[in-house]
Amino acid sequence: MREVTPRSFPAIALVVIVIAYAIILLVVPFITIIQGAFEDGLQPVLDTFSHIDVRHALLVSFVLSVIALSVNAIFGLITAWVLVRHRFTGRRLFDALVDIPFVFATPIAGYATIVMFGRTGWFAPTIIPIVFAYPAIVLVKIFVSLPFITREIQPVLGTLSPDYEEAAYTIGANRWLTFRRVILPEIWTALLYGIVLTFARMIGEFGAVSVVGGALEGYTETATTFIFRALKDRDNTGGYSMSVLLCIISVIILIVMNQLKSRFADSAVRQSQG
Amino acid sequence: MTDFPLPVRGEISASASVPQAPYGAWGLRLAALSYLAAFIVVPVMVIYVQGLRFGLDTFLESLSRPDTANAIRLSIWTAALMTVINTVMGTLTAYVLVAYRFPGKKLFNLLIDIPFAVPTLVIGVMLVVAYGPQTFLGAFFEDQLGIRIVFNTPGIVLALLFVGYPFVVRTVQPVLAQLDANQQEAAHTIGASPWATFYRVILPVLRPAILTGALLSFARSLGEFGSIVIISGNIPMRTQTATVYIYTQIEEGNIQAAAGASAVLLFVSFVVTIGVDLFLRRQQHA
Amino acid sequence: MSIKLYEVSKFYGTQAVVRNVSLEIQPGELFVLLGASGSGKSTLLRMIAGLVTPDNGRILLHGRDVTQLPPQQRGTGFVFQNYSLFRHMTVAQNIEFGLSIRRRKAQDRQQRVQELLNLIELPEYGNRMPNQLSGGQQQRVALARALAYDPNVLLLDEPFGALDVKIRAQLRQNLKVIQQKLGVTAILVTHDQEEAFEVADRIGIIERGELLEVGVPSELYHRPQHRFTATFLGTANLLQARRNGSNVYLGDVAVPAPPNTEHLSGQSVEILARPEEIALSHDRPHTTHPTIGQGIVEMVLFAGPLQRVIVRLTGQHEGQVVTALLSPDDARTANLRVGQQVWVSIKAYALLPTETNEDIHPSLEHQAKTSGLKG
Repeated sequence: MREVTPRSFPAIALVVIVIAYAIILLVVPFITIIQGAFEDGLQPVLDTFSHIDVRHALLVSFVLSVIALSVNAIFGLITAWVLVRHRFTGRRLFDALVDIPFVFATPIAGYATIVMFGRTGWFAPTIIPIVFAYPAIVLVKIFVSLPFITREIQPVLGTLSPDYEEAAYTIGANRWLTFRRVILPEIWTALLYGIVLTFARMIGEFGAVSVVGGALEGYTETATTFIFRALKDRDNTGGYSMSVLLCIISVIILIVMNQLKSRFADSAVRQSQG
Repeated sequence: MTDFPLPVRGEISASASVPQAPYGAWGLRLAALSYLAAFIVVPVMVIYVQGLRFGLDTFLESLSRPDTANAIRLSIWTAALMTVINTVMGTLTAYVLVAYRFPGKKLFNLLIDIPFAVPTLVIGVMLVVAYGPQTFLGAFFEDQLGIRIVFNTPGIVLALLFVGYPFVVRTVQPVLAQLDANQQEAAHTIGASPWATFYRVILPVLRPAILTGALLSFARSLGEFGSIVIISGNIPMRTQTATVYIYTQIEEGNIQAAAGASAVLLFVSFVVTIGVDLFLRRQQHA
Repeated sequence: MSIKLYEVSKFYGTQAVVRNVSLEIQPGELFVLLGASGSGKSTLLRMIAGLVTPDNGRILLHGRDVTQLPPQQRGTGFVFQNYSLFRHMTVAQNIEFGLSIRRRKAQDRQQRVQELLNLIELPEYGNRMPNQLSGGQQQRVALARALAYDPNVLLLDEPFGALDVKIRAQLRQNLKVIQQKLGVTAILVTHDQEEAFEVADRIGIIERGELLEVGVPSELYHRPQHRFTATFLGTANLLQARRNGSNVYLGDVAVPAPPNTEHLSGQSVEILARPEEIALSHDRPHTTHPTIGQGIVEMVLFAGPLQRVIVRLTGQHEGQVVTALLSPDDARTANLRVGQQVWVSIKAYALLPTETNEDIHPSLEHQAKTSGLKG
């Protein structure tokens, strides 16, 4: 389709309506929450973040997300590889399974975790507690963002002909070298994109984390469960401040995603020329 | 021959490789399948086994409880209403993004992905702040139009609109971008008006993408929790969607009700996703 | 570096794609495996490279049994039809890849890369990305990449298949020159008999997984042992006959039997006469060439330097169609028109044992005939 400058009245009206819709829906709330956070000036916001429990909550969100992210990066990559390159019965079924977390209500995921690993659960832990502790938070974070990395890498791997690896094998590269020097550079952008999406999803997870974590202040409370508690306790400034901080992180994530996308586009052009 | 020294045989094998191990491939496959089994198959099974643990009768009985039934109904109709609005707005947005040049377009394109990046709980907070009765917008809707948004069903729909906005846009946009410009020009030369061109030439090509985006956003909305728990006010029988209801039941230790509602909600989501999957397969084969 | 194959087979399910192939290739030889698509020739090549493991048989590279070795340890250079250059590496990095894996010194690597760039006549292209090159250039880089680490053998899988005709011809000559210069043993797989003739020291004809026969190009063209070879390599005029005593009888026309065909004595055979060995004349010729009968000129076709004439035989061989290629001189002398009656004689010919039709796969036969020599 060819891009044109809108000139006729209906065309201009259409553009204006669409932009207005997006701004009212997406942008206005952004601005109002910043206003809300700074209603009483900068000091209350700074006070919020100087609180030790708040800092701890941020740290918990970040560290546990990084742990869960590394699991998903490694296994998501392997899963993409197996689903694209291997042929076995049930492959289509497993491929379809990957999407389930996209539509799985997150409190239900938390609930399933409790049923499995709770004190009276099916696989009740004996050594370390899982539910209402960090392990369960990591588990649900892995679950809710499981599809992203696999789904980003699959299509890119699909465009790589097996000749590509075989060429490296005949030249003498072993499997690891072939992966590192031949495959990885090709899927790198997709992997990064998947990682960024996964991280955004993990940092922002609330429903499942709140169910399995128990949101114990100074222990299992995360950035999102802190917001929930703050609002309940009528600490609006606290809740809004943390929301603004998460929004800022989201904007950074969005910009990174956008950069990666244009790299995607570049490599797509490269491939079509090559 | 060139004067370059031939490799000594030992050198190649020492630096190049370990023997091609068939168990390597099996290991990878085992890792991937166990990962999917542990993190996806098991939780799904848990929900169903748990839901039916007390027998089918108890399961059905828990579903016929008025609060459960109401919550599921509310989830479905708000998601459906959102889907209708976003299908129209999403398709128009994609069209505007592909067909027209305007200042700030790159930024606008970036904005569309906000719902993917912002935590859903924060979306709920933002919407409460923006549309609460104490704000300009909230007051406008409440006083002038008589619509209360926050802690009410319109708020739920609004949250879903926010969360579901990118789906249709992002499925339709690439298809539109690849559309052959000659087709439209051909339609124009034949004498079709812009509207007829859109309706009769462009829309039929877009239909699969629109439908996919719509179903995806519908399925996603059924499971939406973070934004709704904030904006709905969690009023039983009135603004409690299925996810919020399940959350409340879990918090109150009412396991049986939570299990029953979870099983039903997941079932609806699966039917929709499998529908999308089958539909896409058929499209690819056609 | 010699290559030896002993009864190599590969099955996919119960279907044999390569069946009991035994073959010995001499050091420095450029051997061409020629066959239609699906004949198993690529599978055979991939087994030599280690990309496919044979179900039976053994493969020896320079006396070393490599049958169970992974591709990395065989030290072969493999060139793929679609080039398969690493897209994110420059031309130089692509060529250098095999050297860096072998941990060569940086200085040696650079020198070697430049040598190879000169060899493929792209000396200034080291810093380009693969997508900035034409298909032909990419394939030359792929060749350099495979040659960089002095491979035991060079394996080429339809290397020119994706290129257009003109570049293909040019690259063939380049390949032959480079291969001879380096003295590397090479196997090239192709379905293009013209390509095979041009580059091969010897050709192996492979059909439905079996290596039918091996020989130098002229031998295979003029004296094939199989009907498939005869029809696959160029256009073949095949005439039913019977060998008896020292003659071959085409109906009641007797022509002398070619030498070394005693083993076919008393059997029903086919006479193979290539189009350029057919002579046509208005009057009964008084030459030493055997005349096989008369026919009606059905088509006279312009074929560049030569003239192609299709003649339908009359009399004993009623209905049999013969294709003749006439030199400009002969064409002028004969001055043939459609519908004219001509005498057909054969200047040179070979004998083939008659094969029942079931031996020949119908689609392959068709393919073989249509891919006949042009010009």
